[in-house]
Amino acid sequence: MPKVVIPVKEEILQAAERRKAAKQGEDVTQFLAELINLGFEHRLQELYRQFESGEISLGYFAAEIGLGVRDLYSVLEDRGLPTSNIGARPSPANG
Amino acid sequence: MLTVVFDAGPLITACKIEVQGKPVVDYLLSGSCIVVAPSVEQEVAVLGARYPDGVVAGERVAEGLIRVVPIASRKWARHVANYNLGKGEKDSIILCDQVEDVEALVTDDYLAFVVAIRLGLKAWMLPDLVVQMTERKSLTVAVAESILSSISSRYRVGVIEHSLERLKEVKENA
Repeated sequence: MPKVVIPVKEEILQAAERRKAAKQGEDVTQFLAELINLGFEHRLQELYRQFESGEISLGYFAAEIGLGVRDLYSVLEDRGLPTSNIGARPSPANG
Repeated sequence: MLTVVFDAGPLITACKIEVQGKPVVDYLLSGSCIVVAPSVEQEVAVLGARYPDGVVAGERVAEGLIRVVPIASRKWARHVANYNLGKGEKDSIILCDQVEDVEALVTDDYLAFVVAIRLGLKAWMLPDLVVQMTERKSLTVAVAESILSSISSRYRVGVIEHSLERLKEVKENA
């Protein structure tokens, strides 16, 4: 996995260190990596909702999340999500 | 032969999904001329080159089976500017005005579909193209059914069901 240096808000770092001190969890790096993943998933879901409702297109979605269209197609496919936003949204009953 | 402009979504689907060991795009190319904007080629065949379907698309472009046409006129650029469309979708819409005898824009995207209709274009989803080609006898009903069934996971509820009903009508009228 690639490693990068990023600025982190003081409060986030403090939270990570407190968790570590209280032996509530993993090390700081792992905690921060998890937050980044959660942030990406949150942004993906937020944009998917806009895509689902037809506010944005697939290409706009890709640009906003910083992926190529083909990579976004793959991300959606891996999550079992349609790459077309025309038609009825699947209900929980029919998947 | 039908001339259609594809945006990236349906092109990826058509190059990715196979029916009887052959990518769907090859069935489509047997009865239609597929035109794409350079930005769509970039999205699918260049940036997508690490995917097998990106290679399929790139090979069809290299063989001249998929035509890449540069955008020469920006007549509709301002019309589409403020929609939340990607570059490929905007260019595909603009290209429809530029290429002669374009039958339709093929897009699976709601916003691109609506914008195209508002500009007076004909817009089809990929399943619509399959039905149209069956109607024009470029595809058999059996192959069309197989294609629709194979691509169904990429679509929301109602789309494939609609096309299967259309296919039944084509079969009855044959």
